[in-house]
Amino acid sequence: MIILKIAFRNIFRQKRRSILTALSMFGGFFLSAFFIGFSDGSYNTIISMFTSNNLGHIQIHENTYLDKPSLYKTINNYEEVLQKLAEIKGVKSYSPRIFSAGIVSVGDKSSGARIFGVDQSKEIKTTNFDKKIIKGKVFSGEEAYEVIIGEGLSKILKAEIGEELVVISQGADGSIANDAYKITGISKSGNEIEDRVTMYLPLKVAQELLVLEGRVHEIAITVGNLNSVNKINELVSKKINSEEIEAVPWQVFAKSFYDAMQADVAGMWVMLVIIMFVVAIGVLNTVLMSVLERRREYGLLKAMGTKPKDIIKLILTEINILAFICIILGSVAGFGINLLLSKHGIAMPEPITYGGMKFQYMTSEVNLRSFLIPAVIVFVSATIVGFFPALKAAKTDPAKAMRTH
Amino acid sequence: MDQKTIISTENLVKTYKDNGMEAKAVRGISLEITSGEFTAVVGPSGSGKTTFLNLISGLDTPTKGTVMINNKLISEMKGKELSDFRRDNIGFVFQSYNLIPVLTVEENIEYIMLLQNVPKSERHERVIKILEEVGLSGLETRRPTQLSGGQQQRVAIARAMVSNPTLILADEPTANLDSEMGSELLKMMKVLNETTGMTFLFSTHDEMIMDRARRLITLKDGLVKTDEIR
Ligand SMILES: Nc1ncnc2c1ncn2[C@@H]1O[C@H](COP(=O)(O)OP(=O)(O)OP(=O)(O)O)[C@@H](O)[C@H]1O
Ligand SMILES: [Mg+2]
Repeated sequence: MIILKIAFRNIFRQKRRSILTALSMFGGFFLSAFFIGFSDGSYNTIISMFTSNNLGHIQIHENTYLDKPSLYKTINNYEEVLQKLAEIKGVKSYSPRIFSAGIVSVGDKSSGARIFGVDQSKEIKTTNFDKKIIKGKVFSGEEAYEVIIGEGLSKILKAEIGEELVVISQGADGSIANDAYKITGISKSGNEIEDRVTMYLPLKVAQELLVLEGRVHEIAITVGNLNSVNKINELVSKKINSEEIEAVPWQVFAKSFYDAMQADVAGMWVMLVIIMFVVAIGVLNTVLMSVLERRREYGLLKAMGTKPKDIIKLILTEINILAFICIILGSVAGFGINLLLSKHGIAMPEPITYGGMKFQYMTSEVNLRSFLIPAVIVFVSATIVGFFPALKAAKTDPAKAMRTH
Repeated sequence: MDQKTIISTENLVKTYKDNGMEAKAVRGISLEITSGEFTAVVGPSGSGKTTFLNLISGLDTPTKGTVMINNKLISEMKGKELSDFRRDNIGFVFQSYNLIPVLTVEENIEYIMLLQNVPKSERHERVIKILEEVGLSGLETRRPTQLSGGQQQRVAIARAMVSNPTLILADEPTANLDSEMGSELLKMMKVLNETTGMTFLFSTHDEMIMDRARRLITLKDGLVKTDEIR
């Protein structure tokens, strides 16, 4: 009790020193909170940028499709699966797709192309499909004989809106697939290489061309909250409950991207360790000075019969009271900056347009761990570092300390 | 007042070793101090006064020889046993820096009683009573910085006496005071010695203060030069 009293009052007696100590703790807390909030925020921005372009957050395929894609590995009851998805809370949108490849020509120019069959209205909800159209229009109907081609492909084919595009491919029944469609739009996804080989058909039309009526290769799903992807993926798996098809989250189907993001997260931890060191050095410096300066006080306390462990307690209490105050103030400040940056973000040197979405700002996120981790960092580093000066103070020899010369 | 022996030292020697250099601070002191004495230890700077007092209080350990207080061999005690014995039997007054700066007068005086687990109401009663005895009634909520040097030393004496120790040890308690305040403080110590019968052992440089002592032990080069009772 009396120790607590002495500790409390010492903080206010040594104002300048307390402020210095507090500044390094507060600064450490604030910086860590900011780093975590911003890193988590931009992590999610980048993931959503990457996934909402066309991948989605969760994908459903035939079991072996991801290992070795093939025209024949299809989801055969997809209408049924879509109905089930509609019932799952947390699923924001979903979009069935067909993939194939073929040769396309306009006039006397021809080129290879990847054929995407998309359900336009669902694709718009899932990947902002309409925003990718930079010239012309979206399909006039779900069964229109129309095609949208990538910007690069339109250049290769020297194709204009309104011209006719002929496709030659292979049907699932082994027949030669061959038909002609009117070019109604030109798209730009943000990925130029892709745009040189991309063509979109309405899903129904693609199914007919490839003889895949009632079947699709993929269902892409987006979720409301990226942090709950894995939970929702489980829900989806349970709901579709099938041996032939499976749902996988983006961490699996975009593994190399996920690995790169993990490296980024590791970078954040390195940063936090550095901050921890800075806090530790700041605290060590001032606490050590204070302990040296207050040698007589410790000598007196010991001469009066105070136990060494109570002197350690005294010093650690002083540090922890300060740490506590700093954590409260730091939480307010950290919350403030993260909230502000989650609303407004930091402008990127150059805005990125990706998948028809313009990313101009990196935003922060307000989450629990942006408070918990800094609190642990400040408490742990201050306590560890305070322990050595405290031990030194506890060992003060009162006979020596109380000598006047 | 019974005349029982409170302190007895036997061939007390303290040698400091500093980077291979030996300093013989106390070179063999044997003496006895009886209950209720008011004794001054005097001698030139470096003669070993502080060292001698620290050996008696157990703040320092002798190189050779023994110290008995109340028939307890404290020169052999260690750690908790020693610090508890010190807390319960010896009241200290240092030359300066006797008080914890952030505690009030009352809290400073209370401190040792807190360590001894004396109940709150009794603590307060004893603080009020001892403050009256040292002439500082009404100052219990002041901080040390709000007191004069003389008042601070009185609080230190009150703190030393409040738990009724066997012995009060004071190392140059007046050295930081002007001569008037110093002689006031000593007058008060003597009154306390006479009224309470508590044993006082203090060191000093000051001629005027020496004159008030009933026994005067003069040290020179770590040895007793004269020892006179007046
Ligand atoms: N920790 C120490 N290490 C080495 N030598 C010491 C130490 N403490 C005291 N001494 C030496 O021991 C001798 C006695 O010192 P002490 O402080 O006991 O004298 P004193 O009579 O109290 O002097 P003063 O009147 O100046 O306070 C001195 O020569 C001093 O330098
Ligand atoms: Mg001395």
